[in-house]
Amino acid sequence: MSEAEHAPGVDRRTALAKIASAIFAGLAAPAILGEVEAVAAPAAEPPAALEPPPPGVQEDVLLRMERDLARALAKPVEQRRWVMVIDLRKCVGCHACTIACVAENKLPPGVVYRPVLEEEIGTYPNVTRRFLPRPCMQCENPPCTPVCPVNATYRDVDGVIVVDYDQCIGCRYCITACPYAARTFDFGKLYTDGAPDAAFLLGGANAAEYQRRGSYEYGEAIERRGEESPIGNVRKCHFCRHRLAEGMLPGCVTTCIGRATLFGDANDPDSLVAEMIARPNVMRLKEELGTEPRVFYLM
Amino acid sequence: MTVKRVVYGLSVLALLFGAWGFYDRLAHGHQNAGYGSYVVWGLWVAMYLFFAGVAAGAFMVATADLLFHLKTFQGIGRAALWVALVSLGAALLQIWLDLGHLDRIWKVYLQGNPSSVMAQMVWGYTLFGLLLLVSLYLAIRAPQSSALRVLMIIGLPLSLFVSGAVGALLGVQASRPFWHVGLFPVQFPVFSLASGVAALLVVIGLFGSPTDARRASQLHILSIATIVLALVKLYFLWADFSQSMYGNVPQNVEAVRQVLYGPYWWAFWIIQLALGTLIPIVVLAQPQWARNGGLAGAMGLLVLIGFAAARANIVFPALTVPELEALITAFSGPHLTFDYFPTLMEWAVTSGSIGLAVLAFLIGADRLRLLQYKESA
Repeated sequence: MSEAEHAPGVDRRTALAKIASAIFAGLAAPAILGEVEAVAAPAAEPPAALEPPPPGVQEDVLLRMERDLARALAKPVEQRRWVMVIDLRKCVGCHACTIACVAENKLPPGVVYRPVLEEEIGTYPNVTRRFLPRPCMQCENPPCTPVCPVNATYRDVDGVIVVDYDQCIGCRYCITACPYAARTFDFGKLYTDGAPDAAFLLGGANAAEYQRRGSYEYGEAIERRGEESPIGNVRKCHFCRHRLAEGMLPGCVTTCIGRATLFGDANDPDSLVAEMIARPNVMRLKEELGTEPRVFYLM
Repeated sequence: MTVKRVVYGLSVLALLFGAWGFYDRLAHGHQNAGYGSYVVWGLWVAMYLFFAGVAAGAFMVATADLLFHLKTFQGIGRAALWVALVSLGAALLQIWLDLGHLDRIWKVYLQGNPSSVMAQMVWGYTLFGLLLLVSLYLAIRAPQSSALRVLMIIGLPLSLFVSGAVGALLGVQASRPFWHVGLFPVQFPVFSLASGVAALLVVIGLFGSPTDARRASQLHILSIATIVLALVKLYFLWADFSQSMYGNVPQNVEAVRQVLYGPYWWAFWIIQLALGTLIPIVVLAQPQWARNGGLAGAMGLLVLIGFAAARANIVFPALTVPELEALITAFSGPHLTFDYFPTLMEWAVTSGSIGLAVLAFLIGADRLRLLQYKESA
């Protein structure tokens, strides 16, 4: 317990809010206030496999998935089959995955990789809400790739559908072909568009500059300048390949507060995802189209 | 003469309005466009389909003179080729400005994907454009040459292919039931021929030489062709919509409902159906009206406007139906909406393209004497 929580007149909620603000300020302020030195993360070794917990001890699924990930990364890339499993019974609709994705990939306004669809089912008093996170389905038989006139979007060796930003001409044909609306177009907007550029505001001019600084999608710093890519390109979820390359789980997986989003190598029979997709209560979106999505939902 | 002056004036005004649109598009990219990540294709794509259809159709009409040597159509081949060329120019300008990266168009030629219908279409239209250019040159310089005949023989199936490719561009998309119609690539060449015939009705009706003895019979035949093609078009429309409704696939039914009863119902009932189809059928069915240049030209113009609305009614509704219903409210941000109406910038760019095409046509027709058959023959 911190002193703040013991201080007279300060309730628990206020104390937590202050702690959260302090953490946020520590993380975000240097970036927004101008200390935005882009530091390329050094290539990390795949994490050493964690020891499984002693028998009878329940472990966090994140730890198991990290073990699965380490095993998968030790295999040749073409032998991995990344899949995502989303347990709809555990999703509480907090949208943390959406926000984590926006932050991780520095997505501009109007670009979204993983919205959470909300539906209200039934009539009063028998009403419930259903939440359905919708990343790119990374289809095994993708309708979006053959239509591209310049081969800018394709299925890479690890099965993830990627977009080559320097090749994409921005015709948006792939967006019309995707049955899941999993692709969005980068119109070049900034969150600070139309906002006053005043020094007394948090970050001042640096706020816009921060947004232009590179995200590390696809493992390289991609800056947003003028009309240069990724502005004018189609963008989509790529299972955070830049994180996978560093031995980290996708951003949406690690931030899911309900542990509803699972990720791993389905070719590994001991992995958590292989276990989950073998269950009878698994389904995929729009199966009838034959796209063979690699995102599975547990009902 | 007065009509031509009015059209010149209107074209200049359209181009001036368009100049602002071109500036906005080039300076600010797609930021001020109304289309987005859900309704990804807007007015420019619809107008591309329209102009490309006119180009292919006008070429088909040109073959009546330059390949089949039909006596009644003698002399209109060159004008038809010029209509095709300026229409193709307008189409390519529209679709080029729709790209996210204008400077990367070369990639379609040098690094293209042969399995992409879009790439096939770009290559096809490029070939078609070159063929038009050479054909026009020969039609002016050496109208009796065998090379022109060969080009016309090659061009006829090519015009069918490129107009069909536009239908295939949409038709291959299984995720959009409204577009995924196997007969789209068959229907589009018919639409193209109809719009080409209507364009020639405008050209001969409004700008043709009044002293040309063949003009009245040309207008009459083009009018009959317009009526027949309009009826075929109506049948296609009925077949598409009735099958969609009977099939009862929700996404498809919703798209049809959008066309018939959606917020832009007037574009279908008033512009496409009443003004663009029924009124021209009634007027052009009267032989004395069909032979009247002004009236026939005006009806041709109405048919073209109807076709432009029809292209919009094919492109937009399929995109305004969400792939997953809850997407509408899932995430908000600029350009993330299923409602679409073109912005002023989009209208300006289209207006500029039309102004440019019409001006190019008029100047070219005057300078090259394309519509003065008797003097040049």
